[in-house]
Amino acid sequence: MSEFKADQTNASQNQTPDPNYWRSFEALHNDPDVIEAKNHEFKEGVTDDFSPSGLSGLSRRKFLALLGASAALAGTACTDYRDKGEIVPYNIKPEEITVGKPNYYASTCTSCANSCGILIKTREGRPIKVDGNPDHPVNKGKICAKGQASILNLYDPERLKNPLKQRDGIFNSLNWKDADTDILAALTFIGSKEIVIVTHTVTSPTSLKVLEDFKAKFPTTKIYSYELFSDSVKNSAWRKTNGSGNYPLVKWNDAKVILSLESDFLGTEGNKVETARLFAEGRNVDAKSFNRLYTVDSSLTITGINADYRLRLRPEAQYEFVMSLMNELGNKGALNISVNTAGFSLNSFATKYNLKKEVLNHLVSDLASNKGKAIIDAGNSLPENVHIAVNLLNAALSNSAMFRTDSALSTLVNNSSFQDLELLVQNMQSGNVEVVIHLDSNPVYHFAEDLGYKDALGKVGLVVSLSERENETTNLSNYVLPINHNFESWGDAKARTGIISLQQPVIAPINDTRQKEAILLTWISGIADTFTEKLYHDFLMRNWEAAIYPTLNSKLDFNRFWLGALHDGIVLVNETVPSPTLSAGTAGLLSGGVSSVNGYTVVIKENYSLADGRFAHNGWLQELPHPISKITWDNYAAVSEKTCKDLGLKNNDVVEIAIGDRKLSLPVFMQAGSADEVITIESGYGKSYSGTVASRVGFNVNSLLSKVSNYSSWIYSGASISKTGDTYELASSQEHHAFDDAKTQDLHKSRNIIQEATVSGYVKNPHIIKEKHHGELISVYDPHAYPGLKWGMSIDLNRCTGCGDCVVACNVENNIPVVGKDQVLKSREMQWLRIDRYYSGSPDEPSVSLQPMLCQHCDQAPCENVCPVVATTHSPDGLNQMVYNRCVGTRYCSNNCPYKVRRFNFFNFRDHFRDSYQESPILALMHNPEVTVRSRGVMEKCTFCVQRISEARADATHDKRILKGSDVTTACQDSCGTNAIQFGDINDKESEFYKYRNHELGYYVLEELNIHPNVTYIAKLRNIHSEEV
Amino acid sequence: MNIDYSQEVPTVAGRLTPAQIEELVAKPMETKPNKKYFIALSISVSLLLIGATFLAFSLYYGTGLWGNNQPVGWAFPIVNFVFWVGIGHAGTLISAILFLLRQKWRTGIARFAEAMTIFAVMCAGIFPIIHTGRPWLAGYLTPYPNQHSLWVNFTSPLVWDVFAVSTYFTVSFVFWYVGLIPDFATLRDRTASKLKKTIYSVFSLGWRHSNRHWTHYEKSYILLAGFATPLVLSVHTIVSFDFAVSIIPGWHTTIFPPYFVAGAIFSGFAMVVTVLVFVRKIFDLQHIITLDHLEKMNKVILLTGMMVGYAYAMEFFIAWYSGVQAEQFVFINRAFGPYAWAYWIMVSCNVIFPQFFWFKKIRRSIPIMMVIVILVNVGMWFERFVIVVTSLSRDFLPSSWAYYKPTIVDFGILLGSFGLFFTLVILFTKSLPVVSISEVKASADGAQPTHHGGADHE
Repeated sequence: MSEFKADQTNASQNQTPDPNYWRSFEALHNDPDVIEAKNHEFKEGVTDDFSPSGLSGLSRRKFLALLGASAALAGTACTDYRDKGEIVPYNIKPEEITVGKPNYYASTCTSCANSCGILIKTREGRPIKVDGNPDHPVNKGKICAKGQASILNLYDPERLKNPLKQRDGIFNSLNWKDADTDILAALTFIGSKEIVIVTHTVTSPTSLKVLEDFKAKFPTTKIYSYELFSDSVKNSAWRKTNGSGNYPLVKWNDAKVILSLESDFLGTEGNKVETARLFAEGRNVDAKSFNRLYTVDSSLTITGINADYRLRLRPEAQYEFVMSLMNELGNKGALNISVNTAGFSLNSFATKYNLKKEVLNHLVSDLASNKGKAIIDAGNSLPENVHIAVNLLNAALSNSAMFRTDSALSTLVNNSSFQDLELLVQNMQSGNVEVVIHLDSNPVYHFAEDLGYKDALGKVGLVVSLSERENETTNLSNYVLPINHNFESWGDAKARTGIISLQQPVIAPINDTRQKEAILLTWISGIADTFTEKLYHDFLMRNWEAAIYPTLNSKLDFNRFWLGALHDGIVLVNETVPSPTLSAGTAGLLSGGVSSVNGYTVVIKENYSLADGRFAHNGWLQELPHPISKITWDNYAAVSEKTCKDLGLKNNDVVEIAIGDRKLSLPVFMQAGSADEVITIESGYGKSYSGTVASRVGFNVNSLLSKVSNYSSWIYSGASISKTGDTYELASSQEHHAFDDAKTQDLHKSRNIIQEATVSGYVKNPHIIKEKHHGELISVYDPHAYPGLKWGMSIDLNRCTGCGDCVVACNVENNIPVVGKDQVLKSREMQWLRIDRYYSGSPDEPSVSLQPMLCQHCDQAPCENVCPVVATTHSPDGLNQMVYNRCVGTRYCSNNCPYKVRRFNFFNFRDHFRDSYQESPILALMHNPEVTVRSRGVMEKCTFCVQRISEARADATHDKRILKGSDVTTACQDSCGTNAIQFGDINDKESEFYKYRNHELGYYVLEELNIHPNVTYIAKLRNIHSEEV
Repeated sequence: MNIDYSQEVPTVAGRLTPAQIEELVAKPMETKPNKKYFIALSISVSLLLIGATFLAFSLYYGTGLWGNNQPVGWAFPIVNFVFWVGIGHAGTLISAILFLLRQKWRTGIARFAEAMTIFAVMCAGIFPIIHTGRPWLAGYLTPYPNQHSLWVNFTSPLVWDVFAVSTYFTVSFVFWYVGLIPDFATLRDRTASKLKKTIYSVFSLGWRHSNRHWTHYEKSYILLAGFATPLVLSVHTIVSFDFAVSIIPGWHTTIFPPYFVAGAIFSGFAMVVTVLVFVRKIFDLQHIITLDHLEKMNKVILLTGMMVGYAYAMEFFIAWYSGVQAEQFVFINRAFGPYAWAYWIMVSCNVIFPQFFWFKKIRRSIPIMMVIVILVNVGMWFERFVIVVTSLSRDFLPSSWAYYKPTIVDFGILLGSFGLFFTLVILFTKSLPVVSISEVKASADGAQPTHHGGADHE
């Protein structure tokens, strides 16, 4: 105060106070500070240039940096992946990585023995998507559902993370060195006892070299390889009728008439990615050229639902059928070779099995008039005598011309026969076998119980299992060694003559795992310390340099050749395939007579998604609806309607199936189109010790397998079936409607959801579909104009086989969670794309129509105008968009969607499914970073892969060009093996897509609602002898 | 039969004097609640708590706890919403429309019906919010200025709903409160308790029964009645737009607005009768809420029931007449499909049973009346269930059809809404006059000057 007073006197001399205008007492009393401040407009420091150095120690930036860093630490601190020391951002950018841009690496799929070439998409070092390698001559840029979903196996939180040692049923972790030392000790002091390696089919030439080296180092080694489902019978029959080699590949694209006997060549047999493509090439709408597919089978398969004519026949009658057909064709003089078919008559066969004579007549005349342009294909599960008869018939009809001579299936090692395996078990039982090494195989689950393998394992001194995850076999092992996933591995594969695929890792091993070949190489070296991450890589390169490179006569030096080969993913080799010639005296090999089978027959079939069970832990595949029954998460006994009625069974009734003393209880499902008294059960379910996803799912049909069979390894006659009185609920993604309910029957046709015609009808009248349309309705408003690019899709139903590969591709691309069986039961699947399956006709002879159904991106979308919060809108390029952040979840849009393609997050499904299994932090690495992971309470749906459109647009802008429709492909389109899905710019009249979009067979589903959908369906044509469907 | 049309049937029976009327109506507020009251309250509060528990679970885990599935996006919550909004229709109809039509018999029941309207709309209002996937974002449904310049979608009937229901609630509440002012003053004057006196004084807004007050009151009351009348029609019309504006067969129907309004009045009256039967007995109000009142309401129920029945028949006719396959299928499917049980419950409760009200004896028999009105309540709930669920469960593409099964949580929340409703009703009966004292006094015999020169005209 005193200061103030002193200053006041000073100030009053200079300035007269004006008591009327003052803003503070200081101003009123002329405080010199205030006077001084008045001279400066801004406070000191305010106008200084910004200088970060002048800021306090904890600046805003630093605070945010610390916040971010601690959040990142908190997020990663508790995860399982290998600790690589401190986390370093891309301060110095790796040369090959541009943040935000994916890298693609060519590799080889090891999901099955077909060894398709794949292209793995990685983002910032994480694999996020698998597509086919477009340069691969077999699968040509396509890959099946299993290959697509194998990315989930990589990030599976339940993969084994380090070696395990069992003591009294308890597995304890140990380090690699100790494990290797223990095992090496056993191997080294083996003496005269046997070492046994059990593996699946060996497709890799270099793996084979490793096995051979192993055998050289440990001479008592025996190698057994097996597959639960294989073409071994077909090949052995071929060798009997044609001398050598494997059953050849077929020119499915050239065949005019295809007769499939109990074969599922579009589904589970052979390389279906290639087969389906070739088959669809033979059904070309534009060329108006269609093959005709006849199937004669016991259960409805993907091949069966795509048939133009289908006959139901129990498998045991196939031999009689082929012979009767041969007899009939012989009578018509169509055969080049005379075969004694006495005692067989197609006419009496038809009567005996109640087959439509009209269809048989068509078949006979088609085969007779298409000699050399037809093919008869017998299924892998049929016994040798049928294959021999079929080979003979094909030769007699000159159909050998339909066999390919450019490439053939290649076998590096023949799989072990049942006799070999029996011998193995005997050796194990007698104590001759000291060490058993399971090389990524699961024989305890796969082998028939009466083979006694499981018990015999107990007699073996040391059981070592090399596996990615726990299973039935690892559970009985002394040591369990975790191995690398395909995407973490080096390798090569040769499934065909002339082609070797290369496999390269795209991510460092996530867990403390090793490549299985490297483990063997460590043991071969005899020193536990030998292992390095490069061990097998070096071996592979050396093997190529020494064994394969010299044969190629490459002009490049090896290193350049090698890098080029890795880049391409394939190496083409010159190999010739002999054209097939029938051995003389084949007719004499025919054996078998008129069948007289009664009672029930069990057919064990490979599951479309889980195969032999090796994908049972994969939620995406478990939830992919069965292509025909649409059932998820379970297998079941599929029987015909008549058999159901005979036994008084309803869907979901549990039955006990017995073959001799082998029994299995499982629910029954009335599958339309099944042959009477045939029970079809698919494999791959009912796994134990196999982790969260695979456990408590389905029933283990392998318990019905036997080393001796009265028909074939997969087909057992004389089974019995009885009702247990229990019920078990099967979860289907599509409601099942009774065939005899007039209210619901054929609604898909009366509502024009499915529009079909026949080939001859179409040839006669190209407007057969278009003329049904009632034209554009008059609108009160001017329609919204889309002058620029406008996205649309076109789906050719002639090409769609209904396999569901696109569904899984969509799941992977768009981060779609697995919801679990309980939610499928509640009809809450999240898949954005579904394959609708409709039956018409009778339950015995259903005609099946398929339709991939996804958001139709309607111009006048009914979902858009009802959303109260504008969370779903339309883009200027014609997309129906979802704004997740704005969505409050009223579900009104879903109600008002006539296609019901919207999907609602009723729960946080990642949290809800099996104790938050999908919330494992490691699974977050799998997500496509370009696609939002949706939260609970939000609606979602197909976006036409808007992230890909955005990326393509950004690229186009960067390159200063105009975005074209052909710049973008959707995930489903990429995956479709038959190219049924086309995507592009509706307004681009020059484009290939425009042709599909405006095809004369094109129609819109529910066109009469006038909502202007942007997905065109090209009507399916059935190649039958009629102009009417 | 000789009927004397020159005389109105007295609205208050038993020739009660104004003092007696006041005494009767004010009694519950001036006596301590008895045991029965607490039993009734504890039952309804228990129901409320059950609902609250299940609601808490659904908020925590998600709407997945309910039976809703992929085709059936709306189910119990929306059914309950429409049901409660419907119940809320009787009050305003009785107090506003019957007031404008000079129906004096309304005086005995108007207050109670209005209160029920408010409580029912409160019950209804909960559902649209909780049924959403992310209820914490329900504010997005209101148009508020924001930095994104993001507006609500004015073409969406759900937005119309927000306005319609909130307007209806506000107007009904104001109407109810305005009617209560003279009664608050009466209670203020009667009570000796200091606390009560203070509360009543505040709410009576200084009412002194003066001539000027009455003039203003009458004027505002008739204005509010005029304002509320279109709302009675508009609210359920707009609620029906939720369905009618969509393109789903079974929803996309132009008959919905009048059909929904008739149904709402139907169910509202049934609920009023249900509750009044108890209230008049328990609080000894038989003279004020007379059998004549109940009979009149039963007549309205009979009429609206037939209107609803006509709508059911007309829906079928139009579906057939339209020639649209999907439309025809939906109606055949309703009557004979997997939800046929729900359809026939609806038809029998709403169309068949109310026909008994043709008989005067039944109209005036309390027990039979009770059975029928409760059936009507059930039937009207099922009507909404049939409309919402059966249409969605089987729409255009047979591939996406699925049967909807409610879960225990669905039922729990429905029970909870009844708990909330009855808790509010029970609290209301002890804290506010359930009958409008001033209006009943005014319409009681002898209250009006007549040329008979007095009350004795019989």
